[in-house]
Amino acid sequence: MILRAIRVANWRCFVEPVAVGPFDEGLNVLHAPNATGKSTLLEALLRGLLDGHRVGGREVEPIRPWGRLLAPTITVEFAHSGTDYKITKRFLDGASSKLERKENGQFVRLAEADNADEMVRKVLMGSAPGRGLARHQNWGLAQILWTPQGELALEDISGDVIAHIRASLDTQVAGPGAGAVEKRVEEVWRELFAPGGKLKAGKDAPALVRLTEKLQETLNRRTAARAQQQDFDEAVRRVEDLRARRAQARYDEESISEEFKESRSRAEFYRTLLSEKMQRAERLKAVEAQHGELKQRAEAIKSARRELKEAEESLRKLEADIPLQEREVGNREEEAAEAKAALEDARRGRQMVDAARELSEEAHRFGESNKALGELSKRLGKISRAQETLAARKREKAGLAAPDAPTLRAIRQAMNRRDEARLHVDAALITLEVVPERDGSLEVISGDETGTRALHSGRPTQMKGSPEVVADLPGVARFRAWGPTGSIEQYRSEQAGAERRIKALTEPFGTTELEELEKLGERAEELDKKIAEVTTQLETLLSSMSIDDIRRESSRVEAVLVKSLERHPNWKHSIPDGEALKTAAQESSRSFIEKVEGAEARRDQAQSALAAATTQGAGIAAQLKETRLHLRSLESRLAELISDGKTDREREDELKKMALAWEAARVSLDEVESRLSVFGDDPMAAAGRLEKRLEASRETATRALEDEKIEEGKLQHLSAQGPYSALALVEEEAANLKQEIAGEELRVNAINLIHKMVAQCRTEALAAVAGPVEAAATRILQRIAGERLGRLQLGESFKPAQVRPEISESAVSLENVSGGEEEQIYLATRLALAEVLAKEERQLVVLDDVLAATDAGRMARVMTILKEAAQHLQVLILTCHPERYRRLVGAKFIDLEGVVRGDRI
Amino acid sequence: MRFLHTADWQLGMKAAQVGETGARVREERLHALERVAAQANSVEFVLVAGDTFENNGVDRTLVQRAADILSAFRVPIYVIPGNHDPLSPGSVWNHPVWGSIGNLHVLREEEPVEIPGGVLYPCPVRQKRSAKDPTVWIRAGGAEGVRVGLAHGTVEDIPQEEPDYPIPRDAASRAGLDYLALGHWHSTAFYPGQDGATHMAYSGTHETTSFGERDSGNVLIVEVPGAGITPVITPVRTGSLCWKVVEGDIRYRGDLLRIRRQVETMKNSASTLIELRISGLLAAEDRDDLTRIQEILDSRSRRFLFARLDMSRIRPSPQDENWVAGLPAGIIRQAGLRLREMANPDFTGERSKGASAEVASRALMELYAMITEGAG
Repeated sequence: MILRAIRVANWRCFVEPVAVGPFDEGLNVLHAPNATGKSTLLEALLRGLLDGHRVGGREVEPIRPWGRLLAPTITVEFAHSGTDYKITKRFLDGASSKLERKENGQFVRLAEADNADEMVRKVLMGSAPGRGLARHQNWGLAQILWTPQGELALEDISGDVIAHIRASLDTQVAGPGAGAVEKRVEEVWRELFAPGGKLKAGKDAPALVRLTEKLQETLNRRTAARAQQQDFDEAVRRVEDLRARRAQARYDEESISEEFKESRSRAEFYRTLLSEKMQRAERLKAVEAQHGELKQRAEAIKSARRELKEAEESLRKLEADIPLQEREVGNREEEAAEAKAALEDARRGRQMVDAARELSEEAHRFGESNKALGELSKRLGKISRAQETLAARKREKAGLAAPDAPTLRAIRQAMNRRDEARLHVDAALITLEVVPERDGSLEVISGDETGTRALHSGRPTQMKGSPEVVADLPGVARFRAWGPTGSIEQYRSEQAGAERRIKALTEPFGTTELEELEKLGERAEELDKKIAEVTTQLETLLSSMSIDDIRRESSRVEAVLVKSLERHPNWKHSIPDGEALKTAAQESSRSFIEKVEGAEARRDQAQSALAAATTQGAGIAAQLKETRLHLRSLESRLAELISDGKTDREREDELKKMALAWEAARVSLDEVESRLSVFGDDPMAAAGRLEKRLEASRETATRALEDEKIEEGKLQHLSAQGPYSALALVEEEAANLKQEIAGEELRVNAINLIHKMVAQCRTEALAAVAGPVEAAATRILQRIAGERLGRLQLGESFKPAQVRPEISESAVSLENVSGGEEEQIYLATRLALAEVLAKEERQLVVLDDVLAATDAGRMARVMTILKEAAQHLQVLILTCHPERYRRLVGAKFIDLEGVVRGDRI
Repeated sequence: MRFLHTADWQLGMKAAQVGETGARVREERLHALERVAAQANSVEFVLVAGDTFENNGVDRTLVQRAADILSAFRVPIYVIPGNHDPLSPGSVWNHPVWGSIGNLHVLREEEPVEIPGGVLYPCPVRQKRSAKDPTVWIRAGGAEGVRVGLAHGTVEDIPQEEPDYPIPRDAASRAGLDYLALGHWHSTAFYPGQDGATHMAYSGTHETTSFGERDSGNVLIVEVPGAGITPVITPVRTGSLCWKVVEGDIRYRGDLLRIRRQVETMKNSASTLIELRISGLLAAEDRDDLTRIQEILDSRSRRFLFARLDMSRIRPSPQDENWVAGLPAGIIRQAGLRLREMANPDFTGERSKGASAEVASRALMELYAMITEGAG
């Protein structure tokens, strides 16, 4: 198909109708600046030829001009298979489609609406999209031939276009009739396989799939049947095991039962012997008891008699001891009374001792008080003097008018300011000095001191003033001196201020002399120091007490002394020796204490002896009483013991008989014990254990029987289901299915192998045939880019895959070439494919601003190739750089901007 | 004494090698019992030497049916359990139906049993496998009348990997028996003693059980005129199914036709189970014969009770290039030539996955069919 002309209206930037054409059958360059509508024109061409007129939706709305509700319209005039056509489409509002064919020089309506859309689509072998605008894969041949801006790289070419390309090549690949066979192979294969190469599924699935599914289901059932058969076999084994267990339990029970019987009879005999033993032991015990009793009685009688005799003896002795004891008590009482009297006598000496101690204490106190009084007096004297000194210093201080340190500092500062000011004043004053040669007078007219000044010969006289000093020397001259004006008034003011300050500060002190003031200050400081010293001294003497307190203390001490003197007037003249008195008092005390302690010890001793004697006496009396009671008790007991009326001889005989009986009973018991010892361990316990074992084995047998019954029940249930028969059926079914599947599989694999072989051979054949396309593309590429990139290799669907440079051992992927070279690779491939597609009919190739990254040198080569291609192809180049294509001799240049301007109605 | 000796009825057996025909095979085994019953009308009693049933787990309706058939016998039947239906828990012999058949005696103990004219020494089997001689307990020396043993096991002569109820070669004489009726092996076999007289034999199964089983489908009619006298043993055919394996090697033209005719003219095909194994080189012109054979053997034709065709060893004839060379030029012909190469088992080139010689051969056949369909 080649393009004749194109007309758009209400299409994006083309609000007014724009007609472009007629196009040359060879080279066309449509140029315009950016945003003029070049790519829009290509878009319109695509929409016009490939989209249905009724397409709508959000992606279609934008083709309206902005802000306008106009229905986009496109008209394309084209030639196909030697006939001219015109398709007119209106989109969105009032959508319509009309196809006209040129007949006898006139365009005559050929088809409308969907029919028109479909017929036009077929020209480019396009396909209708499911919904919305046609996608790249719906463009048909335009996928290869038309290159929108930025889309030079080949996308996946749709199968029908590839088929067409191959079909164009196929005539060289297959002979006549091959197509029918191939078709049949394909048909048979598709009966079994889905396009992806997997067996079909679902309702169209081949028998193999169904058989396989059925086999799987059968195998599942077989698994279940096998499991059931296995359960049956295991149940058989379990029942056998349980029967064996029950048999074993029964056998155990029988053998234990025998053993148990034996054991039980032994236990019975043993029990009998035990009973006999018990009886004989009791007999022995009884005899022993009787013997013991008799013996005890005889001994008791003997003992009672002996004790009775002893008691009588004891009584006699006690009765003899009583008078002696009484005499002893009397003696002790006398002794105690004497000791008591001696003690009282000793104690009477205490008064003297106390008096001596008091005297010594008082003498000591007197001495201490006397000393204390002396010290207090001294202290009071010191305090008094210190107070006087303090008062004097304070008076002196009070009378001294002296500046303190801050005042002195202020005075100094003021003096400094005054002196400074004076200096400034002096500096500011103008000084006129006259040194007369003779005496005279000078009239100071202007200056600090005006008036007449006497002059003395040879004595300089100075006059100062500011801003001038004028003095008249009468009859001689007026002297005028002036100088730089300064702020003398300020200085004078400062000086006056300072002097006033000095005066104010020093007035209280009566002098303005600094030295004197300083002396006064020093003096004041000295006085302060002394006052502080005296104050400290005073505080020390007072020692946190007031003077009154000290005086009161002194009075008190004095009173103590007076009291002592009243008792001891002689101490007034002679201070007593406290130590000597103390020593004498201590000696007296010690002597007293010794005496008293001795008397007390003797008294205690006497009293203890008296108590002991008394106690002893009481003891003897008690003993006597007790002995009498004991004697009576013994007599009574003896009477009871001999109350059986027997003689001692008779009792002795009876005891001998009992001893013999006892011996006999013991022998009898020993005999039965020796018979018992033969048994070893306790036969009753052994019988008990055996009984338990017997019960256990019976229980085991019972349980085994129960378990057996349960398992037999399960076995019966399983056998009733006929597991073997069920398994046989399902295994036969599975074997049958496997047989069928094997046959089907062989057939399916055979058909798949045929298909694979045919495809493989086709691929190889096509590869051989597609070689020329690859070679053509390589030639074009090498003409553009030189031989550096080597051979271009196409992949499936004729897409460039890689280049194979001669210097490289391995292929180089397109990702590793430059942007410009990649452009050139795709352009070369498109042109090579376009040549194939144009074998039967001239085709339109559209290049929208491609090769942006290609340099001028290579562009020139591209121009040459395009010129050659235009012999078989119609080429339409859209560009905003027409100058790049000026070398295309013979090309038709269309200025779109001019067209737009020119066609505006 | 005249009795019928049979064994190994294997009722309920699985026949997986014949697929779904197994049900029919099982049914025929039951029908064969009717023929056995017919033979039993001329004897005094019947001895069944074990493996009456294939497994203790067979369907109990089968047990009932077997019992019904046995109850129709007019003479006593003495049965011992075999290693397929041993006297183990869950045994078919525990089914209550056996107690209701008056003429049937299931012998469960190793104890002599009085039979008409003599004594029977049964050797019932209690488990699937054993290395013990089941006849070892028999001491028939002093008994009056004809002494007959009934055992199930393997005579020492038969090679076995492990002992399987081993029975000495001279068991009959050792035990003092006039005749020892054996079961376990399915082929009829006689074991003459040193004197040349046969006192022990396998009756074999009453109906053949699988392909390749020789001399089966029989019962034995045994006549023992008296104690110590050599028995007269007569095999009688009771089986009706024919299990046939046909091997055909096609090398020359006409071989396949011959096989086809053989199959076509086979008698009693309705009761025949056939396995046809064809090997050799298949020429193109023979394909029709092969197709015809396939049609005859197809289960849908119901010509045979069961048929299986094994063509895995058929290869296209290397001389047969005409049709491949006649394929349309280009990729079809190229594909045909490649398939032809791959159909040769000796092909050393690269085979794609799944492209065995067998598959390639079949592929060639399928391709041929596609082409001839088109031509047709």
